[in-house]
Amino acid sequence: MTAPVPPPTPVSPIAGAADFLVLEAISKGFPGVQALDGAGLGVRAGEIHGVVGENGAGKSTLIKVLAGIYRPDAGRILLDGAEIDAGSPDAVQAAGIRFIHQELNLVPHFTVAETIFLGQELSGPFGLRTGAMRRAAEAFLKDTLDTDIAGHRLIADLGIAERKLVQIARALIDGKARVVVFDEPTAPLSHTEIEHLFRAIDALARRGIAMIYVSHYLSEITRICHRVSVLRNGRNVGLVDPVGHDDADRLISLMVGRDIGDLYPKRNHAATTPWLTLTALSQPPHYADVDLEIRRGEIVGLAGLVGSGREELVDTITGLGRPTSGRIVVDGRPLRSGSTAAAADHGLAHVPRDRRNDGLVLAMNVADNINLASLEAVSTGGFVRRSAATTRAEQSAEALDIRPKTVTTAARLLSGGNQQKVVLARGLATGASLFVLDEPTIGVDVGAKAEIYALIEHLAAEGAAVLVSSSDPTELLGLCDRILVLVRGRIVAEVTPATTDLDRLVALTTGGEPAGGLAA
Amino acid sequence: MSAFIASLPTLGRQGLARHGFLAVVAVCFVGFAVANPSFVGGANLVNILSGAVIPLIVGLGMTLVVALGAIDLSVGIALDFGSAFAIVVLKDYGAAWYLAVLIGIAGGALIGLANAVLIVRLRISPFLATLGTFFIGGSLQRIFTHGGGPISYRRLPPEYYDIAVGEVFGIPIRILIAATLLIAYFLLLERSTFGKKIHAIGLQSRAARVAGLPVGRLVAIGFVLAGATAAVGGLVASANLRMFTPLAGNAYLMDAIAAVFIGASMHRDGRPNVLGTLTGVLFLSMVANGLNLMGLDFNLKDALSGLILVAALALSIIQHRRRT
Repeated sequence: MTAPVPPPTPVSPIAGAADFLVLEAISKGFPGVQALDGAGLGVRAGEIHGVVGENGAGKSTLIKVLAGIYRPDAGRILLDGAEIDAGSPDAVQAAGIRFIHQELNLVPHFTVAETIFLGQELSGPFGLRTGAMRRAAEAFLKDTLDTDIAGHRLIADLGIAERKLVQIARALIDGKARVVVFDEPTAPLSHTEIEHLFRAIDALARRGIAMIYVSHYLSEITRICHRVSVLRNGRNVGLVDPVGHDDADRLISLMVGRDIGDLYPKRNHAATTPWLTLTALSQPPHYADVDLEIRRGEIVGLAGLVGSGREELVDTITGLGRPTSGRIVVDGRPLRSGSTAAAADHGLAHVPRDRRNDGLVLAMNVADNINLASLEAVSTGGFVRRSAATTRAEQSAEALDIRPKTVTTAARLLSGGNQQKVVLARGLATGASLFVLDEPTIGVDVGAKAEIYALIEHLAAEGAAVLVSSSDPTELLGLCDRILVLVRGRIVAEVTPATTDLDRLVALTTGGEPAGGLAA
Repeated sequence: MSAFIASLPTLGRQGLARHGFLAVVAVCFVGFAVANPSFVGGANLVNILSGAVIPLIVGLGMTLVVALGAIDLSVGIALDFGSAFAIVVLKDYGAAWYLAVLIGIAGGALIGLANAVLIVRLRISPFLATLGTFFIGGSLQRIFTHGGGPISYRRLPPEYYDIAVGEVFGIPIRILIAATLLIAYFLLLERSTFGKKIHAIGLQSRAARVAGLPVGRLVAIGFVLAGATAAVGGLVASANLRMFTPLAGNAYLMDAIAAVFIGASMHRDGRPNVLGTLTGVLFLSMVANGLNLMGLDFNLKDALSGLILVAALALSIIQHRRRT
């Protein structure tokens, strides 16, 4: 679709300029928590300034202070040298500071133009000037965000990336934006869509807009940001200036406050008996003729781009989907396809990629979620023994270091990493012997990542068979014994981390390396 | 006013919000008592409870279905089937009273099973599936009764008649039946593993499925139980009138739905729950009874009970909002 954004030039156009937006020594406490303790931020005009930190480091509090949602206990906010009334969303808006929130919040049956002009419609003597708004919206998308989206299209018909761009256009259409804050803008986007978004962000930078970019994805941060501020425990622990492609490790060490040579656990497991066997499993047009064997005590990786059939294959194994032909056998017993309950009976635990929709019952508390798949173990005659249920959940939360420790907390209030641990705890509680983990660390911060990796290693060491499907090749290389590469629905290669480096694995997944069996 | 509310201690404010609906119930209660002192007489209070029996029984099944994240528009039909099957086997086959009870319950369960097949096997949405059952079941009753005439049977076995009119230790059996079902449903929905799974499905059915719960089977069981439970209401109704009245059950549909949602609106997380449904049913029964005693025009009564309901819910929702 597009040429990739060129990386920031070594001598940045913004180097040496004075900070346009300054957050100075901001402190903010909540009962029991000092969320920000003298944290600061300086952003230059035309700069893309990354903000990173683990969950709880104070990123979102800092952004909410800037947005005027929280009034800081101490500190001030200066824009172009003038102090802004901190704690007033209206003053912030009037000063030209705009926020692109993670959630899209767009009305599906509005058109692009209606959405962009919502609340600031153009009107003439004959009512709304629909045509003018449409043209203005299109021109704005083209000129400012370097993108072509027709103004009459419905939001519902747009891809996620286009919606994101419409959301940005809506925040900027009044032409008064001087600072734009992006909060995890790429979370729902695919690789090509991210390129599209980056092109738009780059276009904004060239217009001299100061930008703050908050993300968990360090590869994005190192790629598009000029400088990066690192927060830990509500304080600044580093400013990386300028930031380059190979700074990810440095950022991680700053974020977690230790060296992360131990992000991936030591391998301590050994493969024993064959456990999961797929034979000629096919579901055209998604995947075909997939053969796979996983033994107990083995971690097998599944690599493949979006659209490679990886998601559909995982769904078939876990009982969410059905193959058109082929067999799934667990421990010598054929698995009835298309039933998650049958899969669970065979000892399969599924950690799905869409944690919030599929992984947890968000409105239920942590204890209920942990016990949900194995209620019989904490019940007598069909009735839940509440103290037993709570005790077991507490032990589980303790063992996996789930925070907060109180298992009566609603699951929706937990951070991504802790939610993921709850899903894993639920599988552990069933005594599962086969774990299918789909994007196990998506949207999880670095510290929790290391803990989840350690847990996966522990599962294998205890004799479980583990399948890890991931779009992060580093993760697969760090974690797995073998990695199967899926390209256009076919397994084209099986590699081991010992004999494969990152570049080769990426090349294999993109089909860039000659390999047999590519025909669809 | 809002400043005043805000100045109240947190506990008091929360109590007010949680129990705003109950406050309205209390006000209505006092109002009816003032309008007609016989409203608070012992005999009339038993009347209110008796009037709540069938709506409660139907409402319990509905609570289960709504907790599953679904709706059942055919509970009235299940009630009719319960009543029809029981009366027909008593009258035409001379069945023993307990067999009639079992067969009646099976008749309601049959409606639930039909719903389950439509919803789980054919994946029709619960609203449309049960609407279909509602139409088909209603039509079948008219065909079977040659146009909707009641089937009466005066010589009911006394045990069967006692379902409606009997007493044990001075407590009407119909109230005991309702109380038993109430406790059973409370244990089922709020204390059992089945209930936990039902709530998980109702909140996020896909997550429940990923967790390995047999979602289809549980939904099917839920609808069958709701149908069977409504049929118990049909047994009470048929014993009371000593006849099967076609399409009589539909009168309870809206009350059941209203009671469940009144109950859910009172719940901390807005979930359907057994005690909430009980409160909703008692409220509706009290309002109907109170308006009756005031001797109001029959045509005006529905409008007034609707107004009271809307006002009560609006008040509790406003207070709920203020709390958050």
